[in-house]
Amino acid sequence: MTGSRSGDVLEPIEEGTLRPALLAGYRDLSRLRYDFPVVLVEGVADGGFVQSLSSIVDGVLQDVAPRGVEGERLRRVTLRLERELRALVHDGARGMLSDLWEKAMASCAADDDDVEPILAQAGAQLSVDGEVVDCDHDAPSRLVAHAWRATQQQKARRFHDEVDRLVQALSDILRAAFIHSEGGRRPESLRAGVGDAHRDDFDFDAMSRLLGRGVPKDELPAGRRVRIEWALDVLKRQRFFEPAPGPGLGQAEPPYEYRFSSCTEAAAAFAERLPEVVEFVKAISVAELEADGRYVEPRHDPFFEAFGEDALTPRDLALFPDYLVCIDAGHTDAAESGVLMEVLSSDLPVKVLVQTEDVLEESSIGSGHFGFGMRSAQLASTAMGFHDAFVLQTTSSNLYQLRGRLLDGLVYPGPALFSVFAGSAAPANDLPPYLTSAAAMESRAFVAFTYDPAAGPDWASRFSLEDNPQPELDWPIEELEYADEALRRVTEQVAFTIVDFVVCDRRYGRHFARVPRSGWNGNLIPVDEWLAVDPADVGERIPFVNVVDEQDVLHRLIVDAKLMQAARRCRELWHGLQELGGIHNSHADRLLAREKAAWEEERQRELESLRAEATAAAAGDAPAVAVAEPIPGEATQVAAAEGAVVEEDVEVAEAVQAPSDDPWIETTRCSTCNECTAINDRMFAYDENKQAYFKDLDAGTFREIVEAAEACQVAVIHPGKPRNPNEPGLEELIERAKPFQ
Amino acid sequence: MTIPATQCLIRLHDDHHTLEDYQGGMPRWCNGCGDNAILTAVQRICRDEDLSPERMVFVSGIGCSSRFPHYMSTYGFHGIHGRAFPIAEGIKMARPDLHVFVNTGDGDCCSIGAAHWIHAVRYNMNLTVLLHDNFVYGLTKKQASPTSPRGLKSNTTPRGADLEALNPLTVTLGVQNASFVAQAVDWIPEVLHDIVAEAYHHKGFSFVRIIQRCPEFLPTMLEPWLQDPSKALLLTHENGLQLSSDVKRIYKNQLEHDPLDIDRAREIASSVDVIPVGILYRNPEIPRYEELRGAGQARPAERIRAGLEAELDRFTVWPDESVEEQAVA
Repeated sequence: MTGSRSGDVLEPIEEGTLRPALLAGYRDLSRLRYDFPVVLVEGVADGGFVQSLSSIVDGVLQDVAPRGVEGERLRRVTLRLERELRALVHDGARGMLSDLWEKAMASCAADDDDVEPILAQAGAQLSVDGEVVDCDHDAPSRLVAHAWRATQQQKARRFHDEVDRLVQALSDILRAAFIHSEGGRRPESLRAGVGDAHRDDFDFDAMSRLLGRGVPKDELPAGRRVRIEWALDVLKRQRFFEPAPGPGLGQAEPPYEYRFSSCTEAAAAFAERLPEVVEFVKAISVAELEADGRYVEPRHDPFFEAFGEDALTPRDLALFPDYLVCIDAGHTDAAESGVLMEVLSSDLPVKVLVQTEDVLEESSIGSGHFGFGMRSAQLASTAMGFHDAFVLQTTSSNLYQLRGRLLDGLVYPGPALFSVFAGSAAPANDLPPYLTSAAAMESRAFVAFTYDPAAGPDWASRFSLEDNPQPELDWPIEELEYADEALRRVTEQVAFTIVDFVVCDRRYGRHFARVPRSGWNGNLIPVDEWLAVDPADVGERIPFVNVVDEQDVLHRLIVDAKLMQAARRCRELWHGLQELGGIHNSHADRLLAREKAAWEEERQRELESLRAEATAAAAGDAPAVAVAEPIPGEATQVAAAEGAVVEEDVEVAEAVQAPSDDPWIETTRCSTCNECTAINDRMFAYDENKQAYFKDLDAGTFREIVEAAEACQVAVIHPGKPRNPNEPGLEELIERAKPFQ
Repeated sequence: MTIPATQCLIRLHDDHHTLEDYQGGMPRWCNGCGDNAILTAVQRICRDEDLSPERMVFVSGIGCSSRFPHYMSTYGFHGIHGRAFPIAEGIKMARPDLHVFVNTGDGDCCSIGAAHWIHAVRYNMNLTVLLHDNFVYGLTKKQASPTSPRGLKSNTTPRGADLEALNPLTVTLGVQNASFVAQAVDWIPEVLHDIVAEAYHHKGFSFVRIIQRCPEFLPTMLEPWLQDPSKALLLTHENGLQLSSDVKRIYKNQLEHDPLDIDRAREIASSVDVIPVGILYRNPEIPRYEELRGAGQARPAERIRAGLEAELDRFTVWPDESVEEQAVA
């Protein structure tokens, strides 16, 4: 089975019936409260554009349910409705939240008439509405498209503000020119400028004669008029955004579509619209200059005559809508992939969602070669290589959690790639998409990361792995609880590896074999431990994974060498990402080790010198103060190291513990009374024995230290001297600190 | 070598714990309350001894201290007022393999539960008893308890308590079969830890009175003892406590006391001005009730299953029988 040995006792697994032991508790997702379903809230552009059903219900309960027992029934009934609603969505119901709420309410009321008024009361408090989306195949595209729409609406508002301002300014110029023109001084024009009620009170012919007498000729130069009228026309007939709501400028033709299903189409549309974009940018620039009266024909005419595609800057393009392309990774050909790369390497505001359905696909090379996650890894790493593209890779299960990052990518002025694993390739396993995608992330099969070029100039600022579970470890460690043969509860710390993820997949059943309980022995070790062993030292040990069958009975499956090889490679890929993310970075680790060694050496020298002085003091020749002024915290260690000396001469120990200027805590005397941590839990923290120490002296003020010293029941906090000489009220605080020094 | 599955499980389970592994809910005691120190001491012992949470039970009565089981991630039984001892004894009789701790307060133990307390001492069952003594009923907002000092003004004694306080140490030492009596104070955490650890290791009824502060209702009562380390009398002995240099440096008032000397223990327990801290009496030779009564061995799953089967069989309608019965009918 492992490539080097075989066994009679091994049993093939029944495909599709086993799942990782850690997923045993997630049989019926509709009964659990988790991030999905989510509601795509309309008309919200910030992080609230998507909200989980649970958070909406919690918000409603917070508003309507009185605290304590009084609100208990309301809470219980509303949570029941939430469960009903969740079950509806789970069964395929879709629609607006308000509609589904009604349906769920009717369903609840069918069992119990009394709950209807209560649920209606809760429903009246629903302050948001929108489409309800479950974690299914369409979830990534719907969520991203919704977020994109929200950002485009914001963009449209800015666009209209800008364009309307310019249109107004240009119109004002033309209007002023008309008023000062001969035509504007005609009696009928003057008559049109006065209200009906007083129109008969004036003699407009006389007025026209008077106004026209001695007025210098002030016509708008023809060239300027043409220019302004052209710019006005271009601005008014734009097709990039929907016209602003309300009485507006009108729009002759329908706006352009910016959502595409392939990069090829998007690129073609961009190329087709480019002349119009150039013309519009030119019109805006002309309008700006004209509005400010800064258009100088000899200087600007040549510039605008030559104005073309080359003159466009990313800042200009940022004014226009972003292109959204939603691609299914399984249906992309080489040409499409090539265009995708071109798009991502450009400065164009194109947001591409690449949805992956299968990360455990077999390599196209065949012969059982695994290509786990290769396609997405290649795509994301290439995109990051362009340096100017925003990259977010995640699974659909985590999209809600990463909604902020999603927005960051959408508002980023350049191209953005959202690579999302949806986990909805149904034939491969029996898990719901949410679990499949969550398991993919947990097992490092599809890792979450962000590369945000706008976050800073270096990788440390731009690249983040922090959205993965326990990113500092090779594999996330979770708690597995089960009842052993004696029906006692056993809790184990179990790693969730890529092998656990593969176990769910029917296509790979041949790589596993079940070991009957009688065959469980010391040679079986968990996959993560096996991977941690040097391949040369593996010896007789065989890797296994914990799985449960449909009756939730725990089994152990051993894993063949081929799959373990793939797991090892997955771990190596993860290590590479960790290095990029600054976790176990080899360069940093080396530097740290070098600095630590130097520091230890220095510290050892200091300790040696303190020991020598303490011994001299103990001999009675030197005054006790000779060893005073230790470094706080080290005093105790010196005392401990020199236990024999200190025990013999208590005075020396007292001298060694003489206070310095820094505040310090006699940690071993702390009685865990929570007084100091209640004052500032960033400054004061508990150690592994739950006794207080200064965690971060910069996280609080001298006032807090003094107050903690006063509150400390056992007076073990010594405030020292203030670190910030500018802190207000220092004189009084120093006085209060004196009894505790 | 082949390791049986159960051995595998035991080995798998044989891991080390941290303090957090024993932490249950977030304590709702007041800031500054001595109960926090006791909780920490107990959790440290659990961690240092690497005790399995499922092998431990914390039993309590009613009062601030009796919230203790809620904050331990072990088995627990928050009982009724004064009845922590009988519950704990019942558990110990049924499951002698479990470590049973009792957390009780001065009201719970010395007032309403006093009768149970006295007999629990006499039974000398293997229980670790922590008497959280803060001299007042705190949970019900300051009423005098049996250990409240004379003159203490409280909601039930507005003109001051009339009676001298009951001394839990002398009472326990006066009961037949007392086998372990110690006293600790919450403000010397290291010694508190050592004393509770010794109590845990004692095979029998180990009674530790822990004097603790109540910052809410008696904020200044113990000030003189907190301010003046010489008012604590630390009992040391080669068969008792050994103090660290740090503790020795601060608490210089020390007394060599043999924990087997019950007469001297009673004398020390009666001290008024100083608070004796340490093991007053320890006698591992006193027989335990569960041994005398031959309390069952740990009940294996098979036995439990067999008992359940037997009980359920009494109500089972066997298909064959019912057919026969129907035929007869």
